[in-house]
Amino acid sequence: MATHHRQNAAGRRKVQVSYVIRDEVEKYNRNGVNALQLDPALNRLFTAGRDSIIRIWSVYQHKQDPYIASMEHHTDWVNDIVLCCNGKTLISASSDTTVKVWNAHKGFCMSTLRTHKDYVKALAYAKDKELVASAGLDRQIFLWDVNTLTALTASNNTVTTSSLSGNKDSIYSLAMNQMGTVIVSGSTEKVLRVWDPRTCAKLMKLKGHTDNVKSLLLNRDGTQCLSGSSDGTIRLWSLGQQRCIATYRVHDEGVWALQVNEAFTHVYSGGRDKKIYCTDLRNPDIRVLICEEKAPVLKMELDRSADPPPAIWVSTTKSSVNKWSLKGMHNFRSSGEYDNDCSTPLTPLCTQPEQVIKGGASIIQCHILNDKRHILTKDTNNNMLTITLDESDCFAAWVSAKDAGFSSSDGSDPKLNLGGLLLQALLEFWPRTRINPMDEEENEVNHVNGEQENRIQKGNGYFQVPPHTPVIFGEAGGRTLFRLLCRDSGGETESMLLNETVPQWVIDITVDKNMPKFNKIPFYLQPHSSSGAKTLKKDRLSASDMLQVRKVMEHVYEKIINLDNESQTTSSSTNDKPGEQEKEEDMAMLAEEKIELMCQDQVLDPNMDLRTVKHFIWKSGGDLTLHYRQKST
Amino acid sequence: MPVLQGDTVVGTLGSPIKKNKLSLKFFHKKETKRALDFSEPQPDEPKTAEPVEQETSCDQEVPGPSPCPPSPSFLLSQEKKESLVPFIGLNNLGNTCYLNSVLQVLYHCPGLREGIKKLYSLTKKEKPKDESEKAEETEEETVPPHIDLLCSFNSLITSVEELQSGFLLNPDGFTEADLATPPRKILTTLRQLNPMYEGYLQHDAQEVMQCILGYLHEACDALKKQQELETETKAKLEIKQEKPKASTEEDGQINGKRKSDTEAGNAKKKPKSVKSKGSDGEEEPSGSSIQTRSKRKSSSDAPIESVQCKTEEQETINTERSPDGENEGDKPAKETDVKRKKRARLGWLRPSKKQPSIFSKFRSVGRISSTTAKNQDKAETEDKAEESVDEKSKETTLENKCEDESTKTHAVLDLMEHLFQGQLVLRTRCLECESFTERREDFQDISVPVLDEQPTSPEDLSEISPDPKPELKTLNWAIGQFASVEHIFGEDKYFCETCHHYTEAERSLLFDKTPEVITIHLKRFSANALDLDLYAGLSKVNTPLQTPLTLCLDEWCTKRSAKGQNYELFAVVMHSGVTISSGHYTAFVRMSDLRDVKLWTPQDKDSEQTKGAGADEPKAEKKVKDEALDYDDGEVSISRPQRGSALAKTGVRRSQKEEWGFWAVRGVCLRVNLNKTKPHRRETRGGRL
Repeated sequence: MATHHRQNAAGRRKVQVSYVIRDEVEKYNRNGVNALQLDPALNRLFTAGRDSIIRIWSVYQHKQDPYIASMEHHTDWVNDIVLCCNGKTLISASSDTTVKVWNAHKGFCMSTLRTHKDYVKALAYAKDKELVASAGLDRQIFLWDVNTLTALTASNNTVTTSSLSGNKDSIYSLAMNQMGTVIVSGSTEKVLRVWDPRTCAKLMKLKGHTDNVKSLLLNRDGTQCLSGSSDGTIRLWSLGQQRCIATYRVHDEGVWALQVNEAFTHVYSGGRDKKIYCTDLRNPDIRVLICEEKAPVLKMELDRSADPPPAIWVSTTKSSVNKWSLKGMHNFRSSGEYDNDCSTPLTPLCTQPEQVIKGGASIIQCHILNDKRHILTKDTNNNMLTITLDESDCFAAWVSAKDAGFSSSDGSDPKLNLGGLLLQALLEFWPRTRINPMDEEENEVNHVNGEQENRIQKGNGYFQVPPHTPVIFGEAGGRTLFRLLCRDSGGETESMLLNETVPQWVIDITVDKNMPKFNKIPFYLQPHSSSGAKTLKKDRLSASDMLQVRKVMEHVYEKIINLDNESQTTSSSTNDKPGEQEKEEDMAMLAEEKIELMCQDQVLDPNMDLRTVKHFIWKSGGDLTLHYRQKST
Repeated sequence: MPVLQGDTVVGTLGSPIKKNKLSLKFFHKKETKRALDFSEPQPDEPKTAEPVEQETSCDQEVPGPSPCPPSPSFLLSQEKKESLVPFIGLNNLGNTCYLNSVLQVLYHCPGLREGIKKLYSLTKKEKPKDESEKAEETEEETVPPHIDLLCSFNSLITSVEELQSGFLLNPDGFTEADLATPPRKILTTLRQLNPMYEGYLQHDAQEVMQCILGYLHEACDALKKQQELETETKAKLEIKQEKPKASTEEDGQINGKRKSDTEAGNAKKKPKSVKSKGSDGEEEPSGSSIQTRSKRKSSSDAPIESVQCKTEEQETINTERSPDGENEGDKPAKETDVKRKKRARLGWLRPSKKQPSIFSKFRSVGRISSTTAKNQDKAETEDKAEESVDEKSKETTLENKCEDESTKTHAVLDLMEHLFQGQLVLRTRCLECESFTERREDFQDISVPVLDEQPTSPEDLSEISPDPKPELKTLNWAIGQFASVEHIFGEDKYFCETCHHYTEAERSLLFDKTPEVITIHLKRFSANALDLDLYAGLSKVNTPLQTPLTLCLDEWCTKRSAKGQNYELFAVVMHSGVTISSGHYTAFVRMSDLRDVKLWTPQDKDSEQTKGAGADEPKAEKKVKDEALDYDDGEVSISRPQRGSALAKTGVRRSQKEEWGFWAVRGVCLRVNLNKTKPHRRETRGGRL
């Protein structure tokens, strides 16, 4: 954790807690793959996933299971990665607004750069200078010296960066030439902006695209630039002449990914139309449809182990990554049978990928069920689901222990708040939660969860979450503050960081053990029209939504019917007194015998609680109205 | 208040561009002056009382910065002037300029007048059927207020048309003050519907227009429901109808001649109501005869009656009936009728200015005057042609009446939607996956900005200075701003259902369906509290906005249609005054040439028929109404030439262009005319045709 310290708690926005339901080892990409990098030295492929995990794969074809390792620390889409220092260091940019520096060989995170204020969308790398630039939706571009980044330690954790300003819109693409003399950014402003990274001076603006620019490439000396745009065109720019020198209309839809050969003569392009073309820059009529993917193409990486490149790796919005052979193209090229006729659909060079890195299923759709306890997800097998707990609705789920299927030792049926229990479980290894403030005040019994008091020493006393569960603290709106695994919260640093990060509303539950208040719902009680009684003044009543109908009936019997009788019979109050005790006990029974409660003209089961009534019987908006009537004997 | 003095202003202000093309008549009313008294003195300088006789003088151009050289037809012949439809003002009833200017625009809105008449006839036809037995008074009570508004508007149209024809027949008999009618009835109805308009406060013209159009729309809906009900009870009604038929048949015959006079063109129109469904021709006269009778009365009485307050509604209703009697009531009569009609029409063509029994249709009058002028032969031939068409159509009509009627009735009932209602699509596109979602909503008008929302340079703010900055904003720019892309980014990202992620997105507005008449509201106010903000921080924006005479919406449409979404400007409502809370409204309206009018009518019907048949080809030619509410000070003109020029340009040009639009609709036969008066314009037009 380097450089920029988090803001102190005072200035912080509302903090949410999230956790991820997942396997301990997630071997497969669970979602689209945003970026690819090949390490030719070790024959490894790095994939940056939308599941927030960077994975390392072996590209040896013969291997049964190409998976080598996962690099997990990001909490949102990883948007771009670059491999620096001859494959030793990997730098990643993520929608969690951070840039992370990784030891690529060992797969751990060395430092986190938090200068960006919004999604970091693109990285650019100048090999000759070991210089990396990051850019994102916050319109900022930062320049990083990789050697400095890798030298960061816990004590020496400041980095100086230079930033390039002037962008008016969100940046989606970035490129720097190998020599580190030119940097180009593409944004929704639709212009390319060019700087000199050595002086941070603005060099020029290049206008021509009519939509967002999503992909950029520079040649080695920075004299030519290729851009791929959502407007469906690829443009070739001369930076010397400061103009567009060619426009290639190869794709039907947005161009999202570009690769070019070393000589800068052939461009490989892919995008929303799922097709991958190779186009001769000098003669645009000469183009080859290499393959057609099953989903929009997000990124491509040329296998540069030989020239011309023998294969291309392609990632899409689907979770698998394919390697397509380019060998056929050389035959194609030598035979000279280019398909010049743009009107007829080209037949793809390859129909089957040479190699596939299989992906796992991703959640296509999810729906939180009404009980707030189950989430319905749509995918083929198990999944990675991130659940975010927000202060405003985290504690909405109250349930009685019996309903939830928890058995309690003494047979009582306490009301449990699932959100509260969950938070306790997630932080059960955090030392602070193990100190029970109630220890000193033993006699204080909390009515709400008296049951829990006795067992509170660890977690919530009912369930645990898998210790590998990632727990994430983040600001509402996306910025991640801290991510750790559930089991790690006992560690010294983690524990300290938690002290800094955990918001007060979570501390209330986990440390101070204050259970949240019940949700109250307002309702009205009225005599049923059939009873002939006069409509009472409409008093708005309020009760816990867990209140059973039975209790309401008792209330009616005791407070309304009896009062009525009293006033009618003018019976002396003394008579009532001795009977009061028995009444208490029998009240429920009596009430159930004597009266019934109705909602929307439907008689209510005394076991229902008010929220059930409201949800399933009342159904409409507005305050719940209940009618009571005396049972006709 | 006053009326379309817009024209006046235009004339006087000078038309920078092709001036002369069209002469605009300038009628000055005394009421005008009175009305103007309230806040600003300046805007009205141009309006000095001029007698009608001096109309010629309004054609003069005021020298302005005109990019174009004066065109050859600079001098307008007397004849040319004569051929303009006389302009009828509306009296100011106490700060009602907001209403008057809107009414003028609506009156001149292509297609609306005819539609209103048809709608009105529907309301009338229902009544006698349902309530003929009941006391007449009850009828009055049962009229729902929005139907009432429809009637009021119709009566206004009638009054105006009567005045027009009256003037044409006897120009000398009118003083300028006579050439105006007070929109009292419609104001009364409006006040009933919306108490906001009680009293004599100043109001916003756009609001009142939305209001009126809204009520008219409601009236359509109500009529539609009524129609449905009616079909159920159709059988009964038909029986009822038998009685009146017999008794009134005579009348019908007698009146046949008159009817035919007016209605060469209208004869084509098929009866709209379900009632007339019983396909025998005799049935029709029954309705029309009543109407004709009342019509006669109305031609003389209408102006007076319309002045009467609502209490006398019964009478007014009768007078109102007259116009539709002509428009609607007249159906293919029997053969004998037709012959008479022919004869009558021929007689009509003779330039007899003082025919006493003339109907208040200025259409027919228009024919007269044009014939006198010099198109007589042509008019005659055309009339004959029309007639033959009439006969033909009549035959077919008789056969297909039932079907046509119902479909047509429907078309009429959809009038407001058809004319004014378009559909916008709000398209949200995720910048990540570039897929988009759409939401559609109907619109009656669009509000476009006049100022750049974030001025790029301080100069933009200081644009109040007399010299206009290099790039003047245009209406196209403004619509571009209206439809412009909004970025959803930063903290409030968009949750994309395809990406399952919060992403940036852009949101744009596109036209999915464009109305026949598009109303554009210029937001000439700004919330920026730079200046002294007496009015809750709202100040008026005086920056000029160039308005082209033709507008193409293709750029902002979801689908680019081959026919093109082309509009032509026909009216502008302008606000003069320094603040947004007070001032004066004037309307600029394209004035139609009498010959246009005459010819327009039959054509119009043709298109109506096609519409009825389900084809919507008339759509190809759209008219624009450009409503520039809160527009610059009327003084636009004099004190600030540039701005004035821009405006005046719009006014004058528009009128020319507008005419153009009509010509185009009309088609080839009119080219001859064009050649004479405005040769170069034809070229442009020719291309379109």
